Amino acid sequence: MGRKSFLCFLALAFFPGFSATLAPLANAQQAQPIVLGAPLATAFLYGWDAERGMRLAVEEINAAGGVNVAGQKRPFHLEVIDTRDLEPGVPVSDALLAVEKLILEKKADFIVGGPVRSEAALAAMDLLSKHKKISILTTGALTPKYHERVAEEYEKFKYCFRITGESKWMVKEIITCLMDIKERFKLDKMFIMVQDVAHARAGGDIIEKLATEKGWQVTGKEVYPTGTTDFSMGLLAARRTKAQVLLIWMDMPETSILLKQWYDMKVAALPFGSIIAAAEQPGFWKATEGKGEFCLANVVNAGNAPSQATPWTMKFYDAYTKRWGVEPEGYGTSSSYMAPYVLKDAIERAGTLDPEKVVEALEKTDLMGVYGRIKFDPKSHQVIPSLDPQEGAVGTIFQWQAGKRVVVFPPKIAMGQIQLPPWMK
Amino acid sequence: MEIIVYGIVNSVSLALMALGFTLVYGISRLPNFAHGAFYILAGYLAWVGIRSLNMGYIVSVLLTIFVVGILGMAMYRFFLIRVRGMPISEIIASYAMGLFILEALRWKGLKGMTFTLPVIYPGTIFLFDVPVDYQRLLVVAIGAGIVAGLWLFTKFTRLGLALRGIAQDEQAAMMLGIDSDAMATVATGLGSALAAVAAIVLLPLGNIVVEAGYQVLIFAVAVCIVGGLGSWAGAILASFIIGFAQILTVSYMQSHFQVVVALLAIILTLIAKPSGLFGRQKQLEERV
Repeated sequence: MGRKSFLCFLALAFFPGFSATLAPLANAQQAQPIVLGAPLATAFLYGWDAERGMRLAVEEINAAGGVNVAGQKRPFHLEVIDTRDLEPGVPVSDALLAVEKLILEKKADFIVGGPVRSEAALAAMDLLSKHKKISILTTGALTPKYHERVAEEYEKFKYCFRITGESKWMVKEIITCLMDIKERFKLDKMFIMVQDVAHARAGGDIIEKLATEKGWQVTGKEVYPTGTTDFSMGLLAARRTKAQVLLIWMDMPETSILLKQWYDMKVAALPFGSIIAAAEQPGFWKATEGKGEFCLANVVNAGNAPSQATPWTMKFYDAYTKRWGVEPEGYGTSSSYMAPYVLKDAIERAGTLDPEKVVEALEKTDLMGVYGRIKFDPKSHQVIPSLDPQEGAVGTIFQWQAGKRVVVFPPKIAMGQIQLPPWMK
Repeated sequence: MEIIVYGIVNSVSLALMALGFTLVYGISRLPNFAHGAFYILAGYLAWVGIRSLNMGYIVSVLLTIFVVGILGMAMYRFFLIRVRGMPISEIIASYAMGLFILEALRWKGLKGMTFTLPVIYPGTIFLFDVPVDYQRLLVVAIGAGIVAGLWLFTKFTRLGLALRGIAQDEQAAMMLGIDSDAMATVATGLGSALAAVAAIVLLPLGNIVVEAGYQVLIFAVAVCIVGGLGSWAGAILASFIIGFAQILTVSYMQSHFQVVVALLAIILTLIAKPSGLFGRQKQLEERV
């Protein structure tokens, strides 16, 4: 057999096989992409980590062939617009413009991610309803008002889903964790420091009420405008009133300053970040030169700090670290990663991109994800939370210990125990 | 005691933020609305020198002050000189420069909490049972040192006297051979360098973030309006008034209202005495 004949034989023998192997990929590449529009405050943790989480998921889904829409494989395409809604002044109108641009100019089929600030997310609901765009909130907005509005006016707001936590459930988790601290360390005095934004004010009020009912004494409460850089007077008040826990609810990066000042003043109160954006990030240790040790931080969903919540948790954690050269940095990462997967699952079950059908499919979602079993409440479209990853979406509270983020709550996924700073012993 | 200790620290911090702005306006009647941007730029340059280029603290800091001073001079020489004497254009042009610098830094990646400067001397002491870190004490010491240094500079050096001459009566000074544009260039450079000094002393207490640039500008303008535009003594007195008012607000009301204090001070001053505490600019109109 001559060389030419041999090559022809090989081509004929393997071509069908090759074609069959490559067909789904080629199909996915050629098919019209499904556009995911992501309005995110990309200059802030809850924006950039969400974008990275989503990009990773989109890359993985596309590499595996894309989304099967009634037999046709279509890839996801992610369009991100910076909403800047986490900046001081809360520019809600900028965020709304970003959402509208994604829908009208970028022709987004679905909205995922934000708007990130609760005020902007609430304002965007009418816009989503007007354009009948399904939106899955994955980061930032924690206000319970969001899913309450869906439940109150279902027909109007049925396109709005939230795959991450909300402040009422978070408060339950926090109170449970605080009761553990109270029992273990005999602490019962708390000073509350919150940011002047909707979710933080609401969270602070609920914690104050519930903690008082559970036997805590709230010795003071301070509300700080976004962008505050000096917390010394509040810390002095906490010290003066002999507070033993500093309950912090702030999503601004300046919280790293708060922790540095806490350390410098040696305030004998355990810092507990219900939401504390700065302390969530792996870079926090270096940024505070270790002064943030012992700070507790709630990252809302498992997977945003290392744990074994589900088999997918560390798989995601390692894939993210490999892709971006940094560990998942905080709240909004694992939930943003899960959103494209949940959407893919719903679209494939619906067999269409028709919003009415996809809404129905999303309501029937039951997927074991990175942070537990993901199901939506069919009335409010809020992801169903739990303290057990086998039953629902599970949260995570970790503590900085010797330069590492050690998950300490909930007990089902804890990797260590809470410790007190040496000047409190 | 907490109020006194932290009131003094806060007041001197405000004075440090505002001195450069006051100096430039006092000498050249130029409202440098890029002042906050130079403050943040200085923080970023010092960070690059210390953390990225490992040039050492002293070298990085000195180089930063020098570079920012030169940039301030260049801004006047190449941009602001063209609109000098047209107050609205001066404000727009300098504010545009500031916006450009701040947003360029944001675009370059200046965000989050990773950009921090080291404290000059770490540790905390207790003054009358009030914990104060050494960096805050240094803020007070350096603030006092700068005020004293500026007083000596303008009283006993040829350049300082020339600057005062222009500040007092520009036309008379020009008749004596003092170049008004050269003095304005020097003043803008000096004002920018003072913004850099303030950044290096104050930023270790927080993070280098773009938003702080806008905040510093608001505080500088508030201090200057309350004190009287161009008056150093007025600026220092206003710093103490606003500084203590902020601390009292936080102590007896809510931290939430702290940011309102500076803005309220501007409004009240403009209603009651538009020239400010020591300003002479509009006294005649006020009397009339």
